[in-house]
Amino acid sequence: MRISTGMVYAQGIGTIQKQQADVLKTQQQVSTGRRILAPSDDPVSSSSVLELTQYMNVNEQNGSNANVAMSKLQMEETALTDVGNLIQDVKNLAVNAGNGALSASDRTMLATELQNRYQALLGLSNATDENGQYMFSGYMGGTAPFSETTPGNVVYNGDQGQRGARIGARRQVAVSDSGADVFQRIKNGNGVFVTAATKANATSGTVDNTGSGVISPGNVLDKAKWNDPTNNKDFTVIFDVSNTIPAVTTYDIIDNVAGISLLTGVGPTGVGPYPRTYSTGGAISLKTVAPPDTNPVPFDFGAEFDIAGAPATGDTFTVKASTNEDVFKTLSNLLDVLTKPPSVAVPTALQNGLNTAMSNLDNALDNILTVRASIGARMKEVDSMQGTRADLTIQFQATISRLQDVDYAESISNLTLQQTHLEAAQKSFVSTQSLTLFNYINR
Amino acid sequence: MGYSIYGIGLSALNAAQVGMSTTGHNISNATTAGFHRQEATQVTNIPQYTGAGFLGQGVHVDTVKRIYSEFLDTQVLQTQTSFSRFDSYNAQASQLDNLLADVNSGMSPALQDFFMAVNDVSGTPSSAPSRQTVLSGAQAMVTRIQGLATRMTEMRDGINTQVRNSVELVNSLTLRIADLNQQVAIGTTFGQPPNDLLDQREQLIAELNKEVQVSVVKQDNGSLNIFIGSGQPLVLGTKQLSLSASPSTYDPERLEVGLVVGNATAVLDSSMLQGGNLSGLLAYRSEVLDMAQNALGRVAMGLTQTFNDQQKLGQDLNGDLGENFFTALSPKPPIAKYGNAAGLTATLTVGDVSKLTTEDYNLQWSATAGAWQLTTVKSGATVAMTGSGVPGDPFIADGMSIEVTGAPNDGNGFQFQPTRNAAGEINVAITDTAKIAAATPIRTAATLAANTGTGIISAGTVNATPVTPDPAHPSTDLNLKNQVTISFTSATTFDVTDAVNGVLDAGVAYTPGANISYNGWTVQIAGAPALSDTFTIGPTINGVTDNRNALLLAGLQTKNTLANGTATFQGTYSQMVSVVANKTNEAQVNGKAQQTLLEQATQTQQSLSGVNLDEEAANLLRYQQAYQAAGKMIQIVGTLFDTLLNLR
Repeated sequence: MRISTGMVYAQGIGTIQKQQADVLKTQQQVSTGRRILAPSDDPVSSSSVLELTQYMNVNEQNGSNANVAMSKLQMEETALTDVGNLIQDVKNLAVNAGNGALSASDRTMLATELQNRYQALLGLSNATDENGQYMFSGYMGGTAPFSETTPGNVVYNGDQGQRGARIGARRQVAVSDSGADVFQRIKNGNGVFVTAATKANATSGTVDNTGSGVISPGNVLDKAKWNDPTNNKDFTVIFDVSNTIPAVTTYDIIDNVAGISLLTGVGPTGVGPYPRTYSTGGAISLKTVAPPDTNPVPFDFGAEFDIAGAPATGDTFTVKASTNEDVFKTLSNLLDVLTKPPSVAVPTALQNGLNTAMSNLDNALDNILTVRASIGARMKEVDSMQGTRADLTIQFQATISRLQDVDYAESISNLTLQQTHLEAAQKSFVSTQSLTLFNYINR
Repeated sequence: MGYSIYGIGLSALNAAQVGMSTTGHNISNATTAGFHRQEATQVTNIPQYTGAGFLGQGVHVDTVKRIYSEFLDTQVLQTQTSFSRFDSYNAQASQLDNLLADVNSGMSPALQDFFMAVNDVSGTPSSAPSRQTVLSGAQAMVTRIQGLATRMTEMRDGINTQVRNSVELVNSLTLRIADLNQQVAIGTTFGQPPNDLLDQREQLIAELNKEVQVSVVKQDNGSLNIFIGSGQPLVLGTKQLSLSASPSTYDPERLEVGLVVGNATAVLDSSMLQGGNLSGLLAYRSEVLDMAQNALGRVAMGLTQTFNDQQKLGQDLNGDLGENFFTALSPKPPIAKYGNAAGLTATLTVGDVSKLTTEDYNLQWSATAGAWQLTTVKSGATVAMTGSGVPGDPFIADGMSIEVTGAPNDGNGFQFQPTRNAAGEINVAITDTAKIAAATPIRTAATLAANTGTGIISAGTVNATPVTPDPAHPSTDLNLKNQVTISFTSATTFDVTDAVNGVLDAGVAYTPGANISYNGWTVQIAGAPALSDTFTIGPTINGVTDNRNALLLAGLQTKNTLANGTATFQGTYSQMVSVVANKTNEAQVNGKAQQTLLEQATQTQQSLSGVNLDEEAANLLRYQQAYQAAGKMIQIVGTLFDTLLNLR
C-alpha cells in the first residue's frame, strides 16, 4: 500500500496525543481517587451516586435527629424517675401516718415533710431541658407548665401537644409528654370508681360520719357491666343501726341520679327501709341480691367494695365514677387529712382519708410508670433505628464507593501500562520519521 | 535523419524537465492542505511512416494530472462533517457535564445542607441559631441554583456567538468557492485541468463541510453547485447565497440559521442541518441545554412552591401564619408568534407544580380544526388540554393554566417555556428567623377534669385546601384558628361548636379514628369517649416548642413532589444530570467512532493522493537519469554530424 509522508506524521502525532490523553485521565483518576471524573464517564453510576448521597445524607440526618430524641427522652426519663421516687416516698409517709401510735405532733411533722415533697414535685414538674425549654408543657416550651393558684390548687398552663422527632424516612417518635398526661390525667379511686366516706362540707350541708366505718377502694368485677348504660355511676350507701339489743346494722344503696333506692326500686321517702344487713368487712355488691332486695328490676353493675368497722345511723359513703385527679391535688388532700384538727371521729376519718390517698398515689405512680414504659419503648425504638441506620450508612458508603471510587491496583497498573505505550509511541515515532531516501541522495 | 534524432532527444529532455518540475511541485506541496499529488503523463509522439515501417518520434507530455478519486474524497468529506458535529456537540456538552460534576458547583450538596438545617430546627424549634442556619442554608442553595442558571445562560449566549461566527465563516467560504468556480471555468477553457485551483476549491468545500454538511453537484463547465439541508442552494455557479443568524420568531434570545433569498429569509430547521459544527451546536442547544435549563427551573419552581405551601400551613414564632419562604416564582411570560392577529393575548400561570415537565410548548390556532392545539416544541407531540381557554376556565395541561383572549387567525400562536427562567429567579423571601413556620397553627386537647371516657384526640393537621380561604393566607381557612369544641352527646354521637360561628354540626355519628374536618383542620378521635366528654381544637399559643410543621417541611426533602409525584427535588436533579451525562457520553462515543472512520478515510484518500517524499526522491532520480540520458543522446547525435561534416 502507498503511504503518504504526511499521514506518517499525522498518525504518529495522533497516537501520541491519544496515549497522552489516556495517561492524563488515569493520572487524574488516581490522584482524585474517583473513577468518575465527570458524569458522562458513567451516566448511570453518577446519577445513582447523586441519589445515594442524598439517601446517605438523610440517613445521617435521621441519626442526629435520633441522638437529639434520645437525649430528650433520657432527660424526661430521669425527671420521671425522680417523680416516681417522690411518690413512693409519699406513699411510705402515708403508711407511717396510719400508725395508730402516732401523736398529733408526729403527724404534724409528717405533714411538714409532705409539704416539702409537694414543693419538690412542683419543681420536678417544671423541669427544663438543655435548651431551657420546659419539658412538660407540650408545645408551649417557654411557659412554666404548673403553677399554684391557691395552696393545694395547681393549674396546668401548657397544652396537650407532644413534640416529635423524625428518626426514619417515615418514622417519627414523640420526644415529650404533656404535663396534663403525666401529672393530671390520673383516674382517682380504683381507676373505675371512687369510694369515700362522707366528710363535713358546709355548702352541701353534710357532716362527718360519726361511726367508725372505713370503706375499701373496691373492685371492678366486670367492666362491661359497670359501663352498662343503665348504670348511673353515682351511689350513696346509707346506714341504720337499730335500737334493739343486740343492735342490727342495715343499709340501703341510693342511686343519686335516678333518686331511687337501688335495692327497693322506690324513692327514699324519709327513713328506711334498709334492706341489706351489714356485717363488717362483708362484700357490698352492686348487684341484685334477692331477697333481701325487693327492686323488681334486677341490676348488676359488676362492682363490689366493703366497709369495715361500725358505721353509725345516718353515716353515708359514696361510690362514684372515677374522675381525673392531679397528683398535686392528691398530695394536698393527704396534707389536709394529716393536718385536720382532731375530732371524735379522727381515727376513722384519718383512715378513710389515708385509704383514698393511698389508692390515688398508687394511681399516680401507675401513671408515671406507664409514661416511663412508653418512654422506654420509644427509646428502644430509637436505639434499634440507630442500629439499622448505622448498617445502612455502611451499605450506602460501600455502594457509593463501588460506583465512583477508583480501584487503585487496577488504575496504577493501567497507568504503568499506558506510560509504557506512550514511551514506545514516542521512541518509535522519532526513529521512523528519520527514514527518508533523501538521506542517501548526496550528489 | 540526424534532425529527427535531435528532435527525439530534445523531446525526451523536455519531458524529463516537466517530470522534474512536477516532482518538485509535489515535494514543495507535500504539507499543503487539500493538495493532491500530480503526475506528468508522457505519451509517444506520432510515429513517421517510412519504408521500414513506423519510426518513433520521441515523447511529449500529454497532461499533468491530479491523482484524485472523487469517491475517496467524498468519503473524507462525509466522515469529517459527521465528526465535526459530534466534536462541537461534545465540546459544549462537556462544559455542562463538568459543571454538574463538580461537587462545589452542583446543586445536591447545597440542597442537602438546606434540609439538614430545616431538620435541626425541628429538633430545636425555638433556637435562633438553628433558624439562622436555615436562612443561611437557603441563601447558599439559591445562590448555587442561580449560579448554575447563570452558567447555562452564558452557555446559551456562547452558542449564539458561535452560531454567528460559524455563519460568517460559511458565507466567506461560499463566496470564495463561487469565485473559484469562475476561475476554474476560465482555466478549463484552455483544455487542461487547472489542478491547483481544483485543489483549492475542494479544500474550501472541506472547510465548509466542517461547519455544515453540504452536497456538491458538478456542472459541465467544471464549476460546482453547493447545496445545504434538503436542497437549499448556497453556491450556484458563480452566484453565492448567504446564510444568516437571526433571532427566532418565538425567542429573541435564540439565534436561528436562515437562508437569505432576495429580501426574505427562510429559517433552516435544525433537523435540516445534519452535519458540521453548526448542527452540533443547534442540536446540543435543543437536546441538552433547553432540557437542562428547564429541569433546573422545574426544581427551583417545585422547591419554591411546595416549600411555600407547607410554610403557609404553619405558624411562625410570632404566632402568625407562615408567609412565603421563597419569593413566589411565575413562569416566563408567553411568547407571541410573529404576525399574530392584533389583540390576541395569552396569559400563563402554573397551577399544579407537580405536573410540570421539562418541555417547551407551542399553542397554535388551527382554523380547520377550529381549536387551539398544544404541542411540545421538541417532538411536536400533541398535549391534551382540559378547559376552554377563556378567562375563568383556562386550558389546563402539564401543570400550566393558559388563558387566551382575542380572535386568532389560522396559524397564530404562542410559545410557552414555563420553567426556563425559574432557576435564575429563585430567591429567599424572608430575612427574619422568627418567620420560619415551625409550628402548626392549631392544637387539640381532651378536657381534663370532666372527661370520664378513654377518648383521645390526635394532634391535628391543617388541610392543604381551605374551606373558606383566608384572604391574607389563601392556603389556610379563615376560621382556622377559631376555638372549636367537640362535645359528646352520647357515647356514639357528638356536636361541634365554633366559639365564633356557633354550632357547626350536631349529632354527628362517632367512628373511632375517623377524620373529623372543620374550619380547615382535620383531627381524629380514638378510644371510647363517654357522654358529655369534650375535646377542643384551638389556636396554638406560645407554641415555641411546637415542631410539627418543621417536621413536615423537613419531610419535603424525601417526598415525591415533582414529575407527577414520582420524584424528589434531588431525584429530578439527578435525572437532569443523567440526561446531560448520557448525551455527553453519546457524543463522545459517536465522536470517537467518527474520528476513527475519518482517520481511516483520510488514510485511504492520502494513500492515493498524498505525497510520499521517498517516491518523489526516486522520481527525481528517475527524471534526472532520463534527462542525462537524453543529453547524452544529443551529444552522440552531435558526434554523428561531426562524422558527416568531416567527410571530405
